[in-house]
Amino acid sequence: MTFSADRPTMIEFKDVHKYYGDYHALRGINGTIKAGEFFSLLGPSGCGKTTLLRTIAGFEDISSGVIMIDGKDMANVAANVRPTNMVFQSYAIFPNMSVEENVGFGLRKDPRSKEDKAKAVAEALEMVGLKGFGKRAAHALSGGQRQRVALARALILKPKVLLLDEPLSALDKKMREHMQVELIKLQRQVGITFILVTHDQEEALVMSDRIAVMFEGEIAQLADPETLYRRPNSKKVADFIGTMNFIPAQVLSETGDTLEIDAKGLGRVTIDASMAPPARGESPVVGLRPETLTLLYDGQTATERETEGIIDEVIYFGDMTYYDVYLGGTDVEVRLSMRNVPGRPVLDVGTKVRVAWSPSALVLFR
Amino acid sequence: MAQTPGSEARTGLKLISPTAVYVILLLAVPLATVLIYSVLTGGRGNVSLPVTIENYSELWAKSVYGYIMVKSLMVALVVTAITVVLAYPVAYFVSFHVKPERKSLWLFLITIPFWTSYIIRVSLWFVILGYGGILDSLLGTIGLPPLNVASHSILSIIIVLAHAYAPFAVLPIFVSLEKVDRSLLEAGQDLGESRWVTFLRVTLPLSMPGVIAAALIVFIPTVGDYVTPELVGDGKEPMIANLIETQLLKLQNFPQGSAFAVASMLMVGIVSVAFVLWNRRFIGGQK
Ligand SMILES: Nc1ncnc2c1ncn2[C@@H]1O[C@H](COP(=O)(O)OP(=O)(O)O)[C@@H](O)[C@H]1O
Ligand SMILES: [Mg+2]
Repeated sequence: MTFSADRPTMIEFKDVHKYYGDYHALRGINGTIKAGEFFSLLGPSGCGKTTLLRTIAGFEDISSGVIMIDGKDMANVAANVRPTNMVFQSYAIFPNMSVEENVGFGLRKDPRSKEDKAKAVAEALEMVGLKGFGKRAAHALSGGQRQRVALARALILKPKVLLLDEPLSALDKKMREHMQVELIKLQRQVGITFILVTHDQEEALVMSDRIAVMFEGEIAQLADPETLYRRPNSKKVADFIGTMNFIPAQVLSETGDTLEIDAKGLGRVTIDASMAPPARGESPVVGLRPETLTLLYDGQTATERETEGIIDEVIYFGDMTYYDVYLGGTDVEVRLSMRNVPGRPVLDVGTKVRVAWSPSALVLFR
Repeated sequence: MAQTPGSEARTGLKLISPTAVYVILLLAVPLATVLIYSVLTGGRGNVSLPVTIENYSELWAKSVYGYIMVKSLMVALVVTAITVVLAYPVAYFVSFHVKPERKSLWLFLITIPFWTSYIIRVSLWFVILGYGGILDSLLGTIGLPPLNVASHSILSIIIVLAHAYAPFAVLPIFVSLEKVDRSLLEAGQDLGESRWVTFLRVTLPLSMPGVIAAALIVFIPTVGDYVTPELVGDGKEPMIANLIETQLLKLQNFPQGSAFAVASMLMVGIVSVAFVLWNRRFIGGQK
């Protein structure tokens, strides 16, 4: 999360639109991706992530707007000469070739000697953890191995930008988590700009320096994971990333720096203006993440604010317990999460509890 | 469920028995007959012992037979090459540039030439290629001398056969092109190759099983084609089948005809096996 914003720009989108016939798939994409950044395109299925990635690779023409890569307008640059390489969702491994033939596919025009190329292929395979797999037939590999071949095949060409379309979605959970870490390490090692398409918000949060959240062909928010999580700029983004409680509220007064609000069940509270993204004309709600709410046991007192409540539902996860709690005698129900530690019993439904919370964790959507 | 392996095998035999009877009666028995006849002694209209290899040595003894065999082989190979080269772009176009919902219509249209009898198609080629035919009249209007293609028997045999078998060649090539994962072509371009080089390095090798199937489908029947040399070449350029016909029906020398048939089958067999082995190179890596 220590990404420095002053790195040079690698990719710039200026009002990019894409139509498929009448269908408006990309609706004015703006933004920049920095050199060496691990960038994710995150959004629900059908929001246009793949389309945007393909416009960067050059497989899809844009209807209007400009895409610059490393300072050059890509308008008339064909896919095969762009400084990008792609790891396809299906991996697109050439089934009639061996692993090393696949990895060396893009080296045909490379002026290096045959021996040097073979060495480069071996190094690329070693980098992705497939040392000694060169002679294997590509069709005999497992899903995870094919993906590594696809990675090696792209990285051996030392692109400026590596494009990855849902590379982990076909893997099982364990393998996926393992590959997430490997990809992060690999990206640090090679220093190439990675652009990852994913619909998995957790994956995006774990892996990315910055994330563009997309809905219906538009970027809803472009920010680092922490900002996205703590200060989402709309209810929709807040809802898509993690879990968030929404509590109806009223704005009582507003100065330049702070807002005085009355949130149902929580009472009057002053929040910082930075926690109130620009108004969209929706009825005001405040958002609170479950882990920012804490149940108070006997003898504990809140450091900031506390509110009474009644437990309505208990969801036990082993290391965690989720409680759904009605706040302050209202019909407002919030979910909160507590770590299960020794000496802290799991409470029953119907128990009267006190809930501690912090005004600084509130986000206002309106 | 309660079946023993034995009864399962019996059920299996029962299921394949119609096919088995068909194969035995219509393939194995005639084949065996031809093989046996080919090593017996023949006279006009009769077959007798002793067993002999005379019929086969006859092939070597008279150079005209060898010439006809080699000619048939060459004509069939040329026809195969022309047909496959012509069919490939058609199959490619239908597979890559026709909308999915229109593909079957296109394939249907390609078969239209088959709706007319082969004899009629051959006669029509005569009208086009023959002396004073359409081709020569067209050449005449632009001031060129007539070619009279029909007088060059082998050339016209090749043209007519290539036209007749082209649709057969389109289908297997089309099927193999349909199976090529389109993202592989994007991967080829992504890795720096132009469309054309991607075609050569990715699409063409992946479609070779279809190309080889097409080649076999054209090659096997054209080697043994009887009608075309008879009609187009006016019988002046006999092929293997015409040779066999002469022996079997005109001279009624069944053993000699059978020996020619076996020799021709061997030739076809050897070329086909070569094709199949070549094919292994391409399908070896695929599922
Ligand atoms: N070639 C195409 N022709 C028509 N519509 C398309 C095409 N490709 C994508 N779309 C449409 O564009 C929208 C965005 O697709 P896509 O970028 O693949 O979404 P995502 O990757 O976010 O799931 C979808 O509604 C999809 O149906
Ligand atoms: Mg997609």
